[in-house]
Amino acid sequence: MVIRFLALALLGAWAPLAPLPAQRGWTARLSGQGILVYTHVDPIPGGGTLSEGRLVQPILMLDLGALRQHLSLHTTADFEGWTMPHGELAPGAWGEGYVDRRHPHTYVHELMVSAADVFGRLDGAARTTLAVGKGFVPFGTDDPMSRPVERYPVNHHLSQILERALLMAAVQVDRLTLEGALFNGDEPENPGQAPNLERFGDSWSARLTLRPAAGFEYQVSTADVFSPESRVGAGTDARKWSTSLRAERRAGSVSWYGLAEWARTSEAGGVFIFHSLLAEGVARVGRHHSYYRFERTERPEDMRTLDPFRNVRPLVDNSILGIDRWSIHTVGYGVRVGAQSSPVELRPFAEGSYGRIARVGGGLFDPATFYGRDSFWSVTVGVRAGWGLRGHRMGHYGVPMETMETMETMDHAP
Amino acid sequence: MRPERLLALGWGVVAVACTACLWDNGAAPLPDGGAGPQPILVASVPIIPAAYGIHDTFVRDGLVFVCAWNAGVMIYDVGNGISGGSPSNPQLISTFVTAGGEAHNAWWLWNPNTGEKTYLFVGQEGAGTLGSSSSGDIHVLDVSDLRHPSEVASFHLAGAGTHNFWMDESAQILYAAYYNEGVVALDVSGTLSGDLSTRLIGGIRPGGTGDTYVWGVQLYNGSLYAIDMLSGLWQLGFAAGTFSVQGGGNNVPERYSSDLAVANGFAYTGTWGSGRTTGVPGNVVKVWKFDPSGKPALQDSIVTPGIGTVSDVKVSPDGKLLMFSAEPRGPSAGFWFYRLQDPANPTFIAKYLVPDGVHTAKFATIGGRLYAFGAKDPSLPALLILDVTDLDR
Repeated sequence: MVIRFLALALLGAWAPLAPLPAQRGWTARLSGQGILVYTHVDPIPGGGTLSEGRLVQPILMLDLGALRQHLSLHTTADFEGWTMPHGELAPGAWGEGYVDRRHPHTYVHELMVSAADVFGRLDGAARTTLAVGKGFVPFGTDDPMSRPVERYPVNHHLSQILERALLMAAVQVDRLTLEGALFNGDEPENPGQAPNLERFGDSWSARLTLRPAAGFEYQVSTADVFSPESRVGAGTDARKWSTSLRAERRAGSVSWYGLAEWARTSEAGGVFIFHSLLAEGVARVGRHHSYYRFERTERPEDMRTLDPFRNVRPLVDNSILGIDRWSIHTVGYGVRVGAQSSPVELRPFAEGSYGRIARVGGGLFDPATFYGRDSFWSVTVGVRAGWGLRGHRMGHYGVPMETMETMETMDHAP
Repeated sequence: MRPERLLALGWGVVAVACTACLWDNGAAPLPDGGAGPQPILVASVPIIPAAYGIHDTFVRDGLVFVCAWNAGVMIYDVGNGISGGSPSNPQLISTFVTAGGEAHNAWWLWNPNTGEKTYLFVGQEGAGTLGSSSSGDIHVLDVSDLRHPSEVASFHLAGAGTHNFWMDESAQILYAAYYNEGVVALDVSGTLSGDLSTRLIGGIRPGGTGDTYVWGVQLYNGSLYAIDMLSGLWQLGFAAGTFSVQGGGNNVPERYSSDLAVANGFAYTGTWGSGRTTGVPGNVVKVWKFDPSGKPALQDSIVTPGIGTVSDVKVSPDGKLLMFSAEPRGPSAGFWFYRLQDPANPTFIAKYLVPDGVHTAKFATIGGRLYAFGAKDPSLPALLILDVTDLDR
């Protein structure tokens, strides 16, 4: 563990030297972040409370560009498998075998090669991007890692599809962008696991994005994901929908950002249906920013292992124990410290969540019994350190990324 | 141990056990136990493809019918002679994928009236919400040619799915646990073909609507015993196409129930998962004594720290040995064996730990020796065969 932290520290020390100057038509840019958090949760599964400190979201990004950015390589290394192998305390979080803890992402978080505007003038006013590699599927909303709230939303697995081997195309015409992708349906089972390439192409997604006015963005997307929770393909399929409206504006000295999203996932041909409604916003004045999120998301309850924060994986059948609905309010405040011109951003913050848990339909799982009551609260204090991530929105490649509205209010942006 | 004493056990015990389980690499199962006779692993047969592994097995006449989910029903010779197999050297005879896959359990019907051994009944476990809803049909295979099985009939019950079977072979009635629909009786006499919906002759939800989720059934001394995950152990009667409740029920309030085994005037029932009482895992086998009319009364409980579910419970054919399987993955998962010299007070004799967990376990006598057949959980699912003859002496 000591070696891992030393490695991270060395990388961090070098990282502020980026972005590197363009040389012979090539460009290189290194960026990254890490968040040191201390979280207290009441209650945890089985009742009682728990507090713990973690380094979360430690990532390094390397972007290489060539041919005047027509060809680019985007890579993200995620070290959560080292710094939080047992996950991050987060009531309501679920996915990839973790429950009430947010799972660590894979070490190779993104490795995407993109060719932007591949047809030049041949497709008229349109700009076409082709991208291939491992990364985010064009579906749903921005990854929570590039959004203001430190706590991941419960709907992460309803509203994003990531860490897949994908081949995607995007066509942008004026204010409209249509993206489509083929990918492998299986989600990772551990941080070191690569996508199952034998399953490449068994799943697809499409996303239509409209930018009706400066600072506003509307998207609707759908995906058909084959057996996401069973790597060998024995599990149930998921049909997913997502739509959202995102806005980012400045009014006087206040810059603000807002997102409202709705998502729906239907599994096993409609036997299980999960909904999510989420709204979040940030207001930033000078060094200070405050934020709020409300979400109301349904999640499946699977059989847990002897560790009450883990589900039995691999799955042994297609049944669940029930569905519960998490309604969570999260508020937070952060302040940037240090020189404004520094490439390194340090932002201490504090955020708190209060939520209620309700059963949806029948089943063995009763949250009030499992947790000892049907509500929870959590408090997180921490420091976010980042460099070079201004305006980056994870999960977009090629022309769609270039045309994204950058979010000055987001935590990645100093 | 009386049940009220169990309530003191909780996550504290589980958490201690968990520390090791998180770092367990799921290596090959290791024998473990005290002094005295021990189970001997004689075969471990990997199941490929590994989709969800094995759920249940049915062993009869030196044949094992392995229900391997979407991989199908795999028929192994483990001493029958048809393919030269033995318990230590199982030989695959054939594999058949039932319609819709999700093969969960099976029963090979031997008709004592005609001598026919034509039909294999296969339960499909479809998607559902445990305790509330279920899906999955009964599929009937013609296995008169073991090398070339074929599906000849099926039974669908709207709004519910099947689970474990028990067959009254002399009466040719299949009793099927049907989760939220309770228990269903099917007439399986004569030739079976196509849609068997007209063969439905009875059904009962012993716990009532909303409080019924039956896991398994067993016929014993003229009564049908049903174990309901929600409402506990029931004694049922079945006559002239009508089920009746004769005793039991609403007798396991603190845990969800799982499988059952009935023998010697006693029933042994497992418990499942966690969540019925805050912090209380399903790590108990309950011992029930029958009164002269067959009504069950709780006699004792066997607590096994470090497990979360008792996934299968069986008594050996001679009634001397109690076996249960334990999961999920953890340091105490695997096979557990108790001697039934005093059926009211089973005494621990041995365990065979399988850190990945064992989903189901069955006894069978082959060539004069007693074997335990277990379904090892994924990620490396396998059919495990233990020689437990020495435990039974």
